[in-house]
Order: sequence, then C-alpha cells, then structure tokens
Amino acid sequence: MTKRVEVQEIEKNFPLSGGGHYLALKGIDLDIRKGEFISLIGHSGCGKSTLLNLIAGLDAPTGGSVLIDGETVKLPGPDKMVVFQNYSLLPWLTVRQNIALAVDEVMPGLSRDERDGIIADHIAMVGLGHAGDKLPRELSGGMRQRVAIARALAIRPKLLLLDEPFGALDALSRGNLQEKLMQICNEHALTAVMVTHDVDEAVLLSDRIVMLTNGPGSRIGGILEVDIPRPRERMTVVHHPSYYSLRSEIIYFLNRQKRVKQWQAKPHKVLARHGLEKVNLDLGFVPLAACAPLAVAEAKGLFAKHGLDEVTLVRESSWRGVTDGLLDRTLDAALMPSGMPTWMTAGGHGGDPLPVVTALTLSRNGNGITLARRLADGGVQSVDDYRAWLQSHEREPHTLGIVHPASMHNLLLRYWLAANAIDPDRDVHLQTLPPAQMLADLKDGSIDGFCIGAPWLDRAVAEGHGFTVAGDLAIWRDHPGKVLGVREDWALAYPNTHIALVKALLEACRYCAQPSHWPELSSLLSDRRYLGMKPELIWFSETSADGNSTVPHHLFFGPGVNRPSRSEHLWIITQLARWAEIPFPRNYVEILERICSVGVYSTAARELGLKDVTYQRAAIALFDGRPFNSDDPISYLNEVSLHRDFSVAEIPIGAPRSLAA
Amino acid sequence: MTTSINPSPNREQRPAPSGLALWWRKNGKLILPPFFGTAGFLLFWQLSASLGLTKLAGPLSLFTEERTRELLFYPFFDRGGLDKGLFLHAMSSLSRVALGYSLAAIVGIAVGIAVGLNKTLDRAFDPLFQFLRMVAPLAWVPIALVLFQNNQPAAIFVIFITSIWPILINTAEGVRQIPQDYRNVALVLQMSNRRFFTKVLLPSALPYIFTGLRISIGLAWLAIIAAEIVMPGSPGIGFFIWDAYQNSYVSEIVLGVVWIGAIGLILDRLMTWLQRRISKQ
Repeated sequence: MTKRVEVQEIEKNFPLSGGGHYLALKGIDLDIRKGEFISLIGHSGCGKSTLLNLIAGLDAPTGGSVLIDGETVKLPGPDKMVVFQNYSLLPWLTVRQNIALAVDEVMPGLSRDERDGIIADHIAMVGLGHAGDKLPRELSGGMRQRVAIARALAIRPKLLLLDEPFGALDALSRGNLQEKLMQICNEHALTAVMVTHDVDEAVLLSDRIVMLTNGPGSRIGGILEVDIPRPRERMTVVHHPSYYSLRSEIIYFLNRQKRVKQWQAKPHKVLARHGLEKVNLDLGFVPLAACAPLAVAEAKGLFAKHGLDEVTLVRESSWRGVTDGLLDRTLDAALMPSGMPTWMTAGGHGGDPLPVVTALTLSRNGNGITLARRLADGGVQSVDDYRAWLQSHEREPHTLGIVHPASMHNLLLRYWLAANAIDPDRDVHLQTLPPAQMLADLKDGSIDGFCIGAPWLDRAVAEGHGFTVAGDLAIWRDHPGKVLGVREDWALAYPNTHIALVKALLEACRYCAQPSHWPELSSLLSDRRYLGMKPELIWFSETSADGNSTVPHHLFFGPGVNRPSRSEHLWIITQLARWAEIPFPRNYVEILERICSVGVYSTAARELGLKDVTYQRAAIALFDGRPFNSDDPISYLNEVSLHRDFSVAEIPIGAPRSLAA
Repeated sequence: MTTSINPSPNREQRPAPSGLALWWRKNGKLILPPFFGTAGFLLFWQLSASLGLTKLAGPLSLFTEERTRELLFYPFFDRGGLDKGLFLHAMSSLSRVALGYSLAAIVGIAVGIAVGLNKTLDRAFDPLFQFLRMVAPLAWVPIALVLFQNNQPAAIFVIFITSIWPILINTAEGVRQIPQDYRNVALVLQMSNRRFFTKVLLPSALPYIFTGLRISIGLAWLAIIAAEIVMPGSPGIGFFIWDAYQNSYVSEIVLGVVWIGAIGLILDRLMTWLQRRISKQ
C-alpha cells in the first residue's frame, strides 16, 4: 500500500473581517492510498471544500501539513488538478482551446502534434468529439462538466480533486457522468478526492467515505469503507447488501450533525429555579408504546408540577441517537432500553466507558418475537418448527431484526433462541435495524422475523405480515423494559433535578398503569410528536389465553415495578457478556452500585407519598427454569449451554465525578 | 427602402398586404411616437419663439436666417482663418477629442489593471481617484492653462482628465471581478503571467473596459465644448458657438447645438456597436 496523500493534523483558521478568527478545520488526519477514490461528505459549511483546497494547495493550512508522495504541498499545481463545481471553463475559448490551454501550459516539451493528439483523445474520451469547436455557453451543464473533467485528465494529474462536480446537474446527466467518471477512474487507476453532499453518489463512487462534523472546528466524524466490488453500476449497487447500511450510516451521521447544530443554535444556559439545579431539560425518547410515561408527564403538566418548567421531549429515530445524545451532552436524560446503562458504563458503544445511572424503571414487558407470515405458511408454528425450518433451509440467510444490542429484545431473543438450541450467532444472524425498516423487510421477506416492542409487533400481526411465536410474558414475565437513564456526572451535578424528574415520571407511570386511561393514552401517543400512528394500533393490553379478559401487557407501575433492581442489571450484564457485547466486568459490584440509583428512587417515592411500594422483587425466573444466581454470575455464565468466548476485565470507570459547571 | 423587405414567397402570391403595408405594420409603432414627440417639441419651440415668449430663435430660423442657412447647407467651406464650415469646425474638435480620449484610454486601462491587480496600489490611490473624478471639466480649464500655458495642449489635457476616470475605475473593477474560478484555474495550471494576461485577464475584463470606454466618450465630447468655449482662438465647434454668442447670432447657436448633439449621439452609437462586436466573440 503506497500512500499518495498524507493529511497530517491539518488545522485551518480564517481571519474574520470584524476581527477574531473562524476555526474551520481542526486535527484532520487522513491517508489516501494510490488509486483510491475518497469522498468528503458533510453539511454545508463543514469545511469539506476548504479541506479540498488545502490538498490542492490553493489555500495554506494554519497548522499541520499536506504531503503528496512525501512532499509538502506549498503551491497549487497541475499534479493535483481540480475540477471545480461551476466548471471554470473560460467562456471565450472553445472546448478544444480550453483543454489546449491546460495541455500547452503543462506539457510544453511535447510537439504541437502530440499535444493536439492528447487534446483530441480526451475530448473523445468524454464523448464530446462533435463539440470540440463549440463555446462553453453553447453546451449543457453536463457537457461543460465533461469538458472540465477532460481538461483535468488531459494533463495526467497525480491526484484528481473534484469539488461537488455534479452538484449543479440534473439527475439524468449526473447519473451518466458518475458512471463515466467511475469508468475513467478505473481505467486509469486514478487517485481522487471528491467533495459531495449526495449520499448515493458517495457510496457509488468511493472506496472510502470521510464524514466531516459540523464547524467550527470540523473533524473527521467517521470513515466508512465501501466494500462493494468494482466495477460498479449505478443500477446494481443498490442490491448489494452493504448499500443500504452504508447509506443509512451516512444519513444517520448527517442527521446527527444537524441535530447537534440545531441544539447549538439554541442558548443553553442552565436555568436553576424552585430549588432545582436545572429546570430546562432535553429528554430523549424513541417512539414506542413504552414512551407513554414521558408523553403523559408532558401532556398532564407533571414536569412543571415538580418544578421542571422547561422540559423538551426530543424524538430520536433510533437508540443510537439516544446514546450519542448522552455522549455529546445534547440530552439531559433519556428513555432507554434497560441494558443501555450497563452497556454504556462498560463501554459497549465502542468509546471510553461512560457511567450512566438509572433511578427508575419506566416499563416492563411489551415485547414479543414475531416471525414472518411466509414461515407460518411453511408450517412453522412453534420454536421447534422454526429450528426444523432452519435445518431444512440451511443455505438461505436467516436474519432476525433487533433494535439495539443493549435492548431487552436482543437479550430475550438470544436467550430464547439459545434455550431452544438455536445459536443466535451461527444458526441465524441478528441485525440491528430501525423498526420501520424491520416491518418493510418482514414484508418483502428479507428477514425471518424480529423481536421488538409495541406497537410494532402488533402492527406486523394486524397487517398480516407476521405472527407472534413467543410473547415476552411467556419468556420472562415482568422483565424490565425501558428505564430512565442519565449520565452519572449529570446526576451528581443536578441531584435535586434528578429527584424531581423521577417524581414526575413515577407519577406519570402511575397514571399509565390505570386500564381506564389506556384509550386516552392510545390517542395521546398517536400524535405526531410521539408515535404518529393510528390510535387503533397502540395497545397496552392483550387478550388472555381464554379470550375473555384482557391482561395488561405493559407494566408501568406497581409493587416492585419501578425501583431499579441490581439483580436484574446483573442479569443483563451477564447476558451482554455472554454474547460478547461487553467484557464481564470484574468490578461488577461497584458498577451495579453506581448504575442503580436506588437512593434517588426511594427519595422520589417517599416524597410522592407512595408508602405501599414494596422494594423487593421476586427472583428472576425465565421460561426455561434455569435459576440465576446473582451471587456467582461467572459460574452462571460458564454453565449456560451456549455462550460466546467472553472475557473478564476491570472496567475503568474512575471515581464518581460531577459535571464541571 | 421598402423594397428591401423580402416578403416570403407564398405571401407574394397573395394579392393582399403589400411589402410596404407589412413593413409599416411591423415598425409603425416604433416610428410614430418618436416622430410625434420630436415634432411636438419643435412646434412648441417655434410657437413660443414666434409669439415672442422667449428671445431664443425658433427652429425655423435655421432656414430663414440667411447666415445660418448658408452655414447649414455649406458645411465644408473654408475661407481661411476661423471662418470655416461647421464640418471643419467639428473635425478639429473631434481630432482633439481623439487625441485626449486615446491618451485617457491607454493610461486608464493600464492604471486600471495595475490597481485592480494590486490591493495596496488600490488602497493607496482609490481616495485620490474618487476625489479627482468629482472635479467638473470646466474647473480643470484654468488648471490646464496654468500647467501648459498654451490652448491646444490644455484642451487635450482637459479631455484626457475628464474622460480617464470611468475607464480607469471600470477597468480596475473588471480586473477585480475576474471570477475566483478563473484565477484558480490559472493557479492550478501555474500559468505564466503573460498567458494569464492574454488568456484570462483581458478577455474577462473586456466587457467592463468597454463600459468605461463608452461612458468616457460622452464625457470627452462634453469636455471639448467646455474647453473650446473658454479657450477661443482656434477652430472648433465650441469656439463656433462662443463666437456666435459674442455676435448675437442666436440661430447659429442653435445650429451649433444641433451639431454637438448629433455628433455626441453618433459617437455613443459607434461605441455601442463596437462593444457589441467585440463581446460577441
């Protein structure tokens, strides 16, 4: 692997006209291999064009350096030719003269005939043989850009730099030109860097996609390898399995950047009132039936009742958004899967361990395992049938959808599969998908089923695309579903706010638990701000086996329901470690102590006057009858029939630290 | 004139609208309003003169006054000295304009390019240019006379100094307005200065330069009249008018003014045509 371009610790500071500076780029590090096609993607103003100009030498960095073939770039030059967004053809010169201008300047050693030959070849290469003597204004936008590309290629650059080359073109010529560029790049093994804001274009053309965060001080937010084999074609790449995951990865990144930008645009002063350290909170949630307590607390004014005057509910489309919101502090607190506090505390998100505490379990149950209708049509009715089906359809891929590795869906589904002698990693493939995508995938048959919460499982059944093979009541009755999670440093900085938040939500949970309120909840949640779904599809109960009575499906409130339970979180830790999502923490006792903020819960419950709340929960009992010994989790892990190779490690979470004000 | 319009062949076969009618239908709207407007103005003028409302002679006096009629119909006579036909007066005025204006164009374009390319030069001289630009042609006349002590070069200087500013300022602006894209192309290709000048700078700034030249030709013509009126003693249309005034030949003044207006109009049209010719390439 030879490096063509090395971008080292680039920093770019622009002086502002009113004095002061604008830091456009900071700490950009990037190596580009010979023959590689790189895309720079990001929102406008993120400095992607600036980075391109720095590589081109049209601008000088204020820190760091750019090396091409080991030499520092100091000046622009024809070895790093730029194709500009607005073509930059000289309007008074014909197509041929425009290209000749470049060729004559760069290759003075060649004879007139040789140069004319090169010019003619490149005009022909971009398919403009008939238009050589036309002026740029007589050509369409697409043709002009082809001339610009021909001009750039004619001088044989070491590096081709493209600044939103197809941004101003109509969809049809853009597509054609993308294919043409791809073909030329393949044939000549060109090294290229392209700035774009078109997600599909980036995936189609690139070997790697560099995603830049918002300015000021843009950095590389992530680099995606595009593993789609070449030669690629525009119409067929979309069928490659990686295509949509790459695409959604970029879109998630861009949306996240947008959200951060919006968040930064608002003033974020900590407002202290009514004896609370902070009353303006951003509360993250994902639209699910289990977000009912948050919706109720907002609609019934419970937040304000407990002094939290300015609570904003922030709707995230995935749990990943919640994780990132806590990481970059754009969220104060969030509704999260019950596994997420331990998962983030153990560094399951892939970064440094971030201690997250929970003082309230918001809901229990509400999940189920759904299989596709086509399996039922094939005679699958139970898990034994499914196992037989897997054996008889061994050659096909079997994918099951989950929403997040740290959600109970993942853990329950894996537990259920493993207990029924189906290896959740070898016999099937579990894939994280957004709920709406799951439903679509179930419909078109690309997944076998999924484990997900209401209302999505009810919807799949109601719309006839799937059937429930196992409800969570049958797997682990009253398992923890969603919890309230906050960063530990946040909880330490705003202890009274934390208690007030728990009080507001606990009161909302009590409201949600009343069966007489369920129709009201359904219509409340159907609002666009929450689920944006028909109220008929949002249920909180299910018909019991005898078909006569309804049993509550979601458990929002009751004896032992809401208090964070250390033994449950330990069960979650063992399951996360069992499937190698996290190492098993040697310091699990300390972690549990810190994750479960029982004191905050108790204070809140007491202040609400909930005297009849039992603190004790029954022992953890799942459907297979295997006991969970919370005194010796490692033995438990070693005993379970199926597990991955898990490691035991000390998780360095440091001493509890308060958020620096 | 009417026959030069070629009706399409199938139209010819039909008896109805003849070439003339067709032409009239097309252009009547463009001809009638200016005709009536001008005629109305002349009529008003003539009436107010005939009724004695003003002392100014009416347009008909150009034909009725014998001296003036002679000047009107014989513009080419030359009786030596300052007693010449109006055409010869105009020509000597024009030659002065040609000289001063050419100097202004050469200096204006050169300085304009220098100022447009160099920010420091721009900052250094821009206030001075903006200041001098505001000085009226007439105000330059005494200065020019003191400077040159001689009518002829002083008149040329007045033309030069009046007409240089639009050329200079527009050229500088044209150079400043060269799109960054073109500059980037030149930078990336590492073009030599000479090639940048001929291939990028001049073609790009040309429309601006021509706008400047066109504005200036009008100014130069205005200045020559001012200069000649104040600096009598040599032939020129300005002198002619001044002379007529001194001798109270009012209708001759009117005739002189008609010549000035006509020549100014022709000069402007000439520049417009030239500008269009060049920008078309």
